[in-house]
Amino acid sequence: MMELLCLGLSHKTAPIGVRERLALPPEQQEQLLQQLCTGRAEAMLLSTCNRVEFYLAAADIQRARTAVVDEISARAGSAATDHLYEYHGDAALVHLFRVSSSLDSMVVGEAQILGQVKDAFEVAQRVGAAGGELTRVCSAAFAAAKRVRSETAIGRAPVSMASAAVELAEKVFGGLTGKSVLMVGAGEIAELTVKHLHSAGAKEIIIANRTLQRAEALATDLGAQAKPFEALPTLLVNADVVITSTAAPTPLFTTESVAPALKLRRFRPLFMLDIAVPRDIAPEVNQLGGVYAYDIDDIQKVVADNSATRGAEADKAEALIAEEIAKFVRTRSVRDGVPVLALLRARADQIARTELEKTLSHMGEGLSERQRRSIEAMAMAIINKLLHQPTAKLREASLDEGISRLAGAAAELFGLEETPSTSDPPATAQRGRPR
Amino acid sequence: MWHALLAIAFHEYALAALAYLAYLLWQWKLFPLIGRSLVGSGLVLHAIALAAQGVPQGLAQGLSALSFLLLLLLLILDLRYRMPVIGAFLTPIAVAVLLPGLYLHGSGLTLPNSVRRPLLPLHISIALLGMAAFAVATGVAVMYLLLDRQMKGKHFGMLFSRLPSLGFLDELNRRLVVWGFIALSVTLITGAYFASGIHGAFWVWQSKEIATLVAWALFAGLLTARVFAGWQGRRVAMLTMAGFCLLLVSFFSHYPVPYDVGLR
Repeated sequence: MMELLCLGLSHKTAPIGVRERLALPPEQQEQLLQQLCTGRAEAMLLSTCNRVEFYLAAADIQRARTAVVDEISARAGSAATDHLYEYHGDAALVHLFRVSSSLDSMVVGEAQILGQVKDAFEVAQRVGAAGGELTRVCSAAFAAAKRVRSETAIGRAPVSMASAAVELAEKVFGGLTGKSVLMVGAGEIAELTVKHLHSAGAKEIIIANRTLQRAEALATDLGAQAKPFEALPTLLVNADVVITSTAAPTPLFTTESVAPALKLRRFRPLFMLDIAVPRDIAPEVNQLGGVYAYDIDDIQKVVADNSATRGAEADKAEALIAEEIAKFVRTRSVRDGVPVLALLRARADQIARTELEKTLSHMGEGLSERQRRSIEAMAMAIINKLLHQPTAKLREASLDEGISRLAGAAAELFGLEETPSTSDPPATAQRGRPR
Repeated sequence: MWHALLAIAFHEYALAALAYLAYLLWQWKLFPLIGRSLVGSGLVLHAIALAAQGVPQGLAQGLSALSFLLLLLLLILDLRYRMPVIGAFLTPIAVAVLLPGLYLHGSGLTLPNSVRRPLLPLHISIALLGMAAFAVATGVAVMYLLLDRQMKGKHFGMLFSRLPSLGFLDELNRRLVVWGFIALSVTLITGAYFASGIHGAFWVWQSKEIATLVAWALFAGLLTARVFAGWQGRRVAMLTMAGFCLLLVSFFSHYPVPYDVGLR
């Protein structure tokens, strides 16, 4: 039996520092997946800025689990394992469905996550780490996510973290039309936020980065200007919104560096958003009059506030997911029952054919073709009649109780081989392999 | 007759205040509609009552006229900007202002014949209009400070989602203070003209005149700082509140609470 396990950490359990250390470049992700899928194990790695999760399916799930835990402590220190959560079996299933449907996101309802899960699955498939089990689980999760998106309004509210930032900025300025944005450092969320600010009307976008080439490359992408890092004090005077996401170990902006700019700005309000960890903006900067400085945790509060108002839609989505899970479990149960049936039928077929051959060879040439066919038909009819009731009962039982006791009993009574694993291609499983 | 009209208007305002407050809590689109229609019809009755009373003299009439202008301004702003949340902050104040105006009577101030000049109603109306503008500006300043506190403290509570942006509140404050300041300046000039009628001099050092002059200077400084030094936000909101307090002093020293105050 393949068992499913989800092992990971997210914005709910781990501070950004730990998450960062587990963010692997794509080549390393592929390498790791290949290591993990030894034997008949399957693995998928979902790595976003808010979560790192391993989905494993294996017959010996403990071995796969140990391998992942070792990997995590090797990369992020053994303390990182304190932040881990794990879901086994159907709980892992539920978790994957909820994650794909964006119910577990920092910004509930944001649309990016489904694409990220799809990408993760594609990578796993490409390196051969996703087999039958993960393929089935993932496609069911994608279907559930699609339903949630189309049948609830969860995706309609201001959803991504970037739009939460835009909402906050709009609360300061009223409208963002004509405001100028300064982006310090480069990063996925920062970029996304800047794009959102731009579409909300922000006019001028300036990117300052330690390496000017990187800033220039980004600037052409975003239709912005690139400026050297040294120009920051001057740039601060003209900016209305500042987004920082550098890897600097100490704050770039402190009370001492921001206060002089305020006078030069003629006290225009300044909205600062710090996405970096460790922070680029000292917390005290928020004390300055007219400066509204937020870090990633503050944004999360706005997001939490948003999702509270979307509670009804989230409830609807949860109900949909429960429905989809039930559907998945039902089909899986039928599928799990099928090998026993297939084996049973194959065994009966085999007996009938052997006996037919024996009988027919005894009777030799004396039989006409028509008589021969009648005898064959009789043998098959006996099997069919005999197996009709057990077949119906086994199907029924597997629908009701999942992997059924009856299936086990049938296997034992008829001396069938151990049921082949569900990770085998379904076609093979259904044909059965009488040995 | 006018008293009955005023009483009806008062009750309409009180219900409107409840509707606006209910909107603050539940955000149903119906509440602002109720609030606006109640304030609107109340204002019509109130206007008739005021016209029947003639030139406002005495505390009760002064308060009545002030609440009328306050609500008129509020209704205009609500219709102009579709910001019923302002109503939730200011209608209760207008109701509180009108309450003594409705139930108190007293002689208060009797005007000497020397000041009963044709321009007097104009002087009083402009003075009250200025008061109303500053009262609304103060309400807006309070809203600004509340929102500013939530934004700085990062407690994104109910007000955070209900109140308009800081930028909008600051801009509204600026406009109201500009209009209030113009009205206040005109009041001071026409006041000097009437003072010459009463005291024979354009200026006397009385509490009313001093408080008004200090408030005028404060608002003049505030507007100058806004224009030339870019002052805005918190500082401006607090100064607006301080200036309005000075004007309240001036208002109550103009309409001293009469010793023979009683319930009507």
